[in-house]
Amino acid sequence: MEYLLIIALTLGIIVPTTYLFYNYSKASSQELVDAQLVKLGRTIVDTSETIFYTGEGSKTVLELNVPDNVVNAQIVDGRELVFNITTNFGDEEIVFISNVNLTTNGANCIANVCKLPDLSNSGFKKIRIQATKSSAFIDTA
Amino acid sequence: MGKSQASLEYLTTYAWAFIAISITLGALYYFGFFDFAKFLPQKCIFPEQFKCLDFSLRSNQVNIKLVNNLGENVCVKSMSITNDAVTPVSCTSPIGSQGACAASEWQWDYAAEKDLSFTSCSSGGYLSGTRAELKVTMVYYAINTPTKPLHTINGRINGKII
Repeated sequence: MEYLLIIALTLGIIVPTTYLFYNYSKASSQELVDAQLVKLGRTIVDTSETIFYTGEGSKTVLELNVPDNVVNAQIVDGRELVFNITTNFGDEEIVFISNVNLTTNGANCIANVCKLPDLSNSGFKKIRIQATKSSAFIDTA
Repeated sequence: MGKSQASLEYLTTYAWAFIAISITLGALYYFGFFDFAKFLPQKCIFPEQFKCLDFSLRSNQVNIKLVNNLGENVCVKSMSITNDAVTPVSCTSPIGSQGACAASEWQWDYAAEKDLSFTSCSSGGYLSGTRAELKVTMVYYAINTPTKPLHTINGRINGKII
């Protein structure tokens, strides 16, 4: 009887606690990915603008950590840096608008969309940003 | 003393305890004590670009206050609410002023806060006094981007309907 009571009491504490923490962590992980991605996107766009306005030939290398949920990264119309992500909430796009023209390797471009393969999967990345006459050029360092 | 007699004595001694515990558990379940979801914090989570400032869930109505942090004026093409129910919740979407956007779309300026009201919410277990987990989907495009590519964001609201 004592044994059963102890087991019941333990389960009574563990089960609801696990449920609460699981649900809470689901929401928190989404906020965490969002925060990481905002930092990543803002760093790239802000650095691109700084490098471009510093003048042609200026360049820098960024060391960035791409979060797990990123499945694709691309530049649209030279002004939108778009990250496609998959979360518990579904597929969505996180967009960063640049005030300078963003370009990358022409081989990755189809019409107005240029893919950034190095930023399309998770992990530690080195990205070079270089100022050209008319744009900030983004590619792998 | 036989084994069966010992078992019978054990049962007669502790039967009242089993019955009392069963009744107590039944009562706790009936009064919703085991509905652990109610202990979760009420939350409204949107991506940073369209941060959720406040929200309320009322019977037949969902109110959300969002701010445009994109750094750009946008046109909202559609906005909808759903949930995981077999017959999902259905609401009438909010409509803003058209501005520079096409018909059936509405303009949302940079840094502007919007109070959005989804009205006539029904189905999907959307009932007063219950807890709801809703998914909000918004499709928009940036006005100044030449090809106006559509982008989708998802937000989630978890709260009690009052």
